[in-house]
Amino acid sequence: MINRVVKMNKEILGLNRRNQEYVRPYNPPSAKVIADNKILTKRVLKKELIQTPEVYKLIRTKKQLEFLDWESLPKSFVIKPNKGTGGSGIIIFYGKTRGKLEWIRPNGTVMNKRDILLHIENILEGRFSMDSRNDIAIIEERIKTDSLLKQYSYKGVPDLRIICFNLVPVMAMLRLPTKRSNGTANLHSGAICTGIDIGTGITTYSMQMKKNPLFSDTYEMVDSTMDLKNNKPLSGIQIPNWNNILTIALKCQKVSGLGYIGVDIALDAEKGPVVFEINARPGLGIQVANQAGLKWRLEKIKDIKVKSINHGIRISKNLFGGEVEESIEAISGRKVLNITEKVYIYDKKTDLSKIKRGTKIKREYIKAFMDTGILTSRIDAKLANRIGYIKAHKDFTKYNTPSRFDSLKDAQDYIDKHEKEIISSTDIKRLAKIVEEGEIRVRPVFNIPIKISDNIEITEFVSTQSSENPYLLTIGRNDLKGYLIDTSGTF
Amino acid sequence: MFETTNLTEWLIRHGVSQAVLEILISICIVATIVSITRYVVGNRSYGIYAPIVLAIAYSYTGLRYGLTITFVVVLTSLLSYSVLRRIRMHYITRIATNYTILSIVLLAFLVFVHYYGLGLENMSNIPPLAFISIAILSDFFIKQFVKKSLKTSMATLLGTVAIAIIGWFVITRTLVSDFVLTNLWIIPALTLVNIFLGTFKGLRFKDYFRFRFNTKEDDK
Repeated sequence: MINRVVKMNKEILGLNRRNQEYVRPYNPPSAKVIADNKILTKRVLKKELIQTPEVYKLIRTKKQLEFLDWESLPKSFVIKPNKGTGGSGIIIFYGKTRGKLEWIRPNGTVMNKRDILLHIENILEGRFSMDSRNDIAIIEERIKTDSLLKQYSYKGVPDLRIICFNLVPVMAMLRLPTKRSNGTANLHSGAICTGIDIGTGITTYSMQMKKNPLFSDTYEMVDSTMDLKNNKPLSGIQIPNWNNILTIALKCQKVSGLGYIGVDIALDAEKGPVVFEINARPGLGIQVANQAGLKWRLEKIKDIKVKSINHGIRISKNLFGGEVEESIEAISGRKVLNITEKVYIYDKKTDLSKIKRGTKIKREYIKAFMDTGILTSRIDAKLANRIGYIKAHKDFTKYNTPSRFDSLKDAQDYIDKHEKEIISSTDIKRLAKIVEEGEIRVRPVFNIPIKISDNIEITEFVSTQSSENPYLLTIGRNDLKGYLIDTSGTF
Repeated sequence: MFETTNLTEWLIRHGVSQAVLEILISICIVATIVSITRYVVGNRSYGIYAPIVLAIAYSYTGLRYGLTITFVVVLTSLLSYSVLRRIRMHYITRIATNYTILSIVLLAFLVFVHYYGLGLENMSNIPPLAFISIAILSDFFIKQFVKKSLKTSMATLLGTVAIAIIGWFVITRTLVSDFVLTNLWIIPALTLVNIFLGTFKGLRFKDYFRFRFNTKEDDK
């Protein structure tokens, strides 16, 4: 318990430290003014040719509102307060009722001219503004989400949050709107947050805030999207243009003058990355999404002299990419693996000492996929049978394990109940719960010797039966520690 | 510790009534409780003003009466605002209407208590200022309800009332009030506590729950 508390204090960045050590000293008031004002943000970012949503109208006074040309408004647009916080006061319109001054919202409700007038008046009166003072209403273009991310989002616009410090991207997450969040990417409303491996731009863990967290903002892990026609696994999504996105985030930091910044970027189908807003006090939920602490990362780069944006990205990828926090000291000596790499796999009864002595041993040369999105490595059941696990599979089948589980908790309960019995009489090392072809399954784990690069190690493999995976072997993060994965030839 | 009875007596002889002195010390104590609950526990509240005023109001009304009035105020505000938000009207006028409805309901409630008792027979003896102090909770509640959500506002309300109850409990103990009245060094001591809390960088109690990462197993 005490160890856990000490460990958390070493790794996690809390609100107290964020404000005292990062926001106050590194974000001067002049820079905060820019971040807290969306119009000013757009102006400043424009100088660096960074794309932001196009502004159709700015309404500063009730007089201007009176003379608003409603006919000139497009079918879809967004209304937001200039100094709003936490997404309050933002209304998105997806379409227009033909022949009428009525616009349709993501949840299907319709707002007519009077409703919109009232909402804008509320914005002008400062109902949603940070300091409750009079505000400006912005009418701007609606982002048309990139086709890749659209598949994972319920109606709204998914966005990327990248936290940068000292011109180094430190942590990133993807926020996906859900039905519960009413199409917004607000984590407190129930949007899903998905961690991103900063080295590759591939998604890792996904979390969602529990309903009614009166005591604390607690999250639970989710495996796939919700409320969509075809729900998809959230892990392993490659964010397109990743390097470009990191560059944009750092440009935002440079031009705004914020030393510690959260940059929100959406991917537009036509324009590419578009900066929604910059944040001088970015929330800490990003740590939950990545299942990793910010404090350690920030301290690591506090005193580094970063020469350029590219230098910052290189530092970030080396230090924080591939979830290699524990082995950071070994970075300089790490080997580079391609995203697909040929490895040797040895038969079940192979004696490890014989391999090391160089005795000729029966082995197979297999093309394996390096996947930082999974933790434990996976082996196709057919290949496992070929190297001697037919009996183990047959034994496992005897226990009539359900072919799918409704939740990870059910799967864990099953493991807790039956694992001892199953592993006592078979060659199975343990049971693991995995998400395969969109279903939660419990599968056997075997200890199999393999050789990656020049290292021979006994490796835990979960036996899988996926027809979707073209690779018979997938090497997970557990066995990729100490390696750098080169994805350049693949994506 | 050294007693400051002489200083207390000197203050009382020189224009500071005992009641004012007690209230001022109460403010310091409750303000420190708010600081601790915010920066060490991570409790949400409607700023620092609302819990202080509420705790002091409860000390005048008694907890039972205070919580009853709080309940009536919040329930009325919630219901009236839920109805009013459906009517197209300006924000400030909506809040003002909410206050007028609240006044009517409170009057009706007092009459109701007069006739039916409900175990609240002393309601009419409650000082009007204490009454008003609790009624201002409506403003905080509605403001957050409008800006954020009902869930957030309810959570913050519970946090505020919880702090106020702790504050009420501390400041109404005779032992505490007797001690602080004769030990005025407590005020600079509380100042130091607040300065320390102001520089506290550790995790808040709630953070331990929020960032409880479950990386135990899991192949995803």
